[in-house]
Amino acid sequence: MHSPADHDLCSDHCGDHSTIWDLPHVPLGLKREWLALETRRHFLGRGVKALGAAGLATLLGRTAPDLLAGAASGPAAMPAFLPHHAPKAKRAIYLFMAGSPSQFETWDYKPRLAEMFDKDLPESVRGGQVLTGMTASQARFPIAPSAYKFAQHGRAGHWVSELFPHTAKIADELCVMKSLHTEAINHEPAILQITTGNMFPGRPSIGAWLSYGLGAANDELPTFVVMTSKMPLRTNVQALSNRLWSSGFLSPEHAAVALRAGSDPVLYINNPKGVDGDVRRAMIDGVNDLNRQLFERVGDPEINARISQYEMAFRMQTSVPELTDFSNEPASTWDLYGPKAKEPGTFAYNCLMARRLAERGVRFTQIFLRSWDQHSNLPNNIRIMAEDSDRPTAGLVTDLKQRGLLDDTVVIWGGEFGRTCYSQGVLRPDNYGRDHHPRCFSMWMAGGGVKPGVAYGETDDFSYNIAKDPVHIRDLHATLLHLFGLDHSKLTFKFQGLDQKLTGVLPSKIIDGILA
Amino acid sequence: MASWLELTRAVAGGLALASSLCAEPAFYATRVAPILEKHCTGCHGAEKKKAGLRVDSFEQLMRGAESGEVIKPGDVKGSELYRRITLPHTDEEVMPSDGKPLLSADEIKIVELWIAGGASATKPVTDFPNAPAPKAPRAAAVALAPDWRPQAKAIAEFEKATGLKLVPRSQVATDGLILRTASAPTRCDDAALEKLKPVAALIVEAELARTKVTDASLPLLAACENLRSLDLTRTAITSAKLGALARLKQLESLNLTETAVDDAGVAELKGMPALKRIWLFGTKATAAVPLPAKVVAK
Repeated sequence: MHSPADHDLCSDHCGDHSTIWDLPHVPLGLKREWLALETRRHFLGRGVKALGAAGLATLLGRTAPDLLAGAASGPAAMPAFLPHHAPKAKRAIYLFMAGSPSQFETWDYKPRLAEMFDKDLPESVRGGQVLTGMTASQARFPIAPSAYKFAQHGRAGHWVSELFPHTAKIADELCVMKSLHTEAINHEPAILQITTGNMFPGRPSIGAWLSYGLGAANDELPTFVVMTSKMPLRTNVQALSNRLWSSGFLSPEHAAVALRAGSDPVLYINNPKGVDGDVRRAMIDGVNDLNRQLFERVGDPEINARISQYEMAFRMQTSVPELTDFSNEPASTWDLYGPKAKEPGTFAYNCLMARRLAERGVRFTQIFLRSWDQHSNLPNNIRIMAEDSDRPTAGLVTDLKQRGLLDDTVVIWGGEFGRTCYSQGVLRPDNYGRDHHPRCFSMWMAGGGVKPGVAYGETDDFSYNIAKDPVHIRDLHATLLHLFGLDHSKLTFKFQGLDQKLTGVLPSKIIDGILA
Repeated sequence: MASWLELTRAVAGGLALASSLCAEPAFYATRVAPILEKHCTGCHGAEKKKAGLRVDSFEQLMRGAESGEVIKPGDVKGSELYRRITLPHTDEEVMPSDGKPLLSADEIKIVELWIAGGASATKPVTDFPNAPAPKAPRAAAVALAPDWRPQAKAIAEFEKATGLKLVPRSQVATDGLILRTASAPTRCDDAALEKLKPVAALIVEAELARTKVTDASLPLLAACENLRSLDLTRTAITSAKLGALARLKQLESLNLTETAVDDAGVAELKGMPALKRIWLFGTKATAAVPLPAKVVAK
C-alpha cells in the first residue's frame, strides 16, 4: 500500500519491504493483531479524512448518530465505549497532595499512640516491612504520636484533625478511606502508580483513559486539565512533569493540557504581536493541509491527533480567556476559597479554576500541591501545608454543592502513600519526622456517586497495617471508572500484545462500600 | 441474564422455606449451598466426584471425601474444606484448583460462620446476623426513555441544525439522551430548542447552564416527558412561566442557580411528584416555600 519511496519514514508503517508481514520469526497471532490495528488506523484515519473537519469533531464528541455510523462500519472500527452503564459522575477534580501527607495528623486518628510516646514500635507490628534508606539504619523506631488534636465532626462523626477546621465543616460530605495501600515505597514509582496505575513511566494517566473512553463534553476546552500550585513551603519537593498526565500509548490528544498561572495560562496560544486572528487561522489551515498530505502518505492517526491539537489550540484562544476571567465571580466566592484565590497559581486559585472547569464540562482536573514529604520538622511543616489546602478544598466542595455540581462531580483528596508511626530522626513531643509507608494511607472522596459521611477501612492501633477493608490503588481506579459509567475491565487499548487497562492485569475490585 | 445459579438458589430457598414450615429460611440452603454450587460442584458433584467428594447436597457434603470428613461442625480451623478455600492462590492444595477463581472474602466468611455455628442444615438465616449481606439482585433495567436508535435521523438533523449535541447516557439505548450544550452554550437559544420537538421524549438530562434559553422555552422543556435532570444555571429564566415545569412528572433534579426566580416561581413547583433536589443558590428565592424536594442550596 505504500510506495518503496516511503522507506525513509521510520516507523511501523514504512515501505513494502518493512511491514511486519515480511518479518520472519513473528508469530502469526501478533501479525494478525497488527493487521487489526492497521485496519482501525485506516478507519479512523481515512474515515476522518473523508468526513473532513466535522468528522474529526465527532471523534471527540461521540453523539448518537456518530455511534450508529461507527456501528455500521463494524464493531472493531471504532472505540465507541460510551459509558457502559449510566454514570453517576460526569467529572472529577483530583486534589493531589504530592509528597504524601501523614495520615496521623490528618485523617487516621490513633489515640492510643499518645500513651506510647517514644516507646519502640513492636517488631510484630512491623512484620518485616522493608524500610527506606532514610530510616533503615536507625537504631530505634520510637513511636511519635500526633502533635495535633482530633475531634469528631458532623453527623458522620468523622475524626478530623485540628489542622483542617474548614474541611471539618464539610465532614458530612466526605467518604474518608483509611485503608489505601500500594507497593511503592518511594515517591517516583508511587506517584506514577497512583496517577497512571503503573510504577513504570509511559502509561496513560487516569484523565487520559477517561478522555479516551468518554470523549469530550466540551470541544472548546481540553478534556483533561492539570494545574500545579505555588508551594507555601519548599522542603523535599517532588518533581512533577507531564509523565504524570501523559496519554502514554493512547493518542496524544488524550494527554492533559497544563494550565499555567498568570497572564498566559496556556503557553503560545496567544497570537504574537502583529498577527491577528485571520492570519493565525490561515497559518493553521496551511499547517493542517501539510499534515493532511503527510497523513495521506503514511496513514498514521497521530497526524490527525496533531491536526486536532492545532484546532484545539485555536479554540482555546477564545475559551481560555473566558475561563480564566474571574471578574464575574460573586463576593461570596472569595469568602469560600479564601483571599489567596485571587493570586494566580496558588492552590486556592486552582481550586476556583477547577470549579470553573467543571461548570464548562471538563471531565478531569488534577491539581498538584507539593511539599507534604515531611521527613523532619513535620509538625511545623504540615501545619503550613494544611493551612494552604484546607480552606480552598472545603470551599471547592461547598461551592460545587451549592451550585448543583457536586452530585455529578467526584472530588478526591490524597497523596501517593502513607507515613510511619515512628519518628525519623529526632523525636520530641512537638517535633519529629515520618518516613514513607506504603502499607496504609488515607484519602477522601466526595460527591459524584460516592457515599457521603462514611468512613471506609480501618488500620491497626499504629496505622501500620490494615485491619479491615483494604483498598489497593487499582481498586480506587476501578471504582473511579465505575462512577464514570465505565467497566475497568472493558476499557482497553491494544498495545504490545496486551489489552492494556488502567487497572493492569492484577485483580482489582470496585469498592461497593463507598458507592452511594 | 437470569442464571441457572439464581434459579437453583431460588429453588433451594423455596425448599428450605417449605421444609421448615414457613419458618425463616435456612442459612445453609440460602447462603452456603449457592456458594458450593458456584465454586465446587463442577468437580465435586454427581458427575465428577473428585477425591470421592460431592458437595451438591447437605448429606453428601457431611459424608466427606475418601480421605475423611471435610466439615467439622463448630471447628472452623479443623475443617478441611475451610483450610483448602483459604490457602493462598499459589498453594498447590488451594480450592478451587487449576487457577479457577477463588472464593471471595464474603463467601469465605459465610462458610466460616456456618461451620462455627455448628454446620447445621436447618439453622435459620436470622441466627447469623454477622453474615455478609447478600448482594441485592440487580434491579431490572428500567427504560427511562424510548429507544433512541429508530430516531437517529431526527437526532442527526437536530444536531446539524443547532450545533448542539444529543449524547446517549450509556450503551443502554433506553437510558435516554443528554442534551449537551457545553461546547457552545450561546448557540443554544429558544429557536434551537424549538427544533427539539421531534425527539423531546428521548431527553433524560438537559444541560442548559449558561445558554440563551428564556421563559419561552419552558413549555417546550415541559414537553420532554422523560426529563430527569434539568440545569438552567445562569440563564434568563424567571418565575413567570416556571409553573410549566410542574408537568414534568419524572423530573428529579432542577438547578436554578443564579437565575431570576423567586419564591413565587418556586411555589409553582410544589406539586412535582419526583422532584428530589432543587438548587436556588444566587436567586431571590428564600426556600421558605414548602416543597417536596430537598433544597440543596439557597
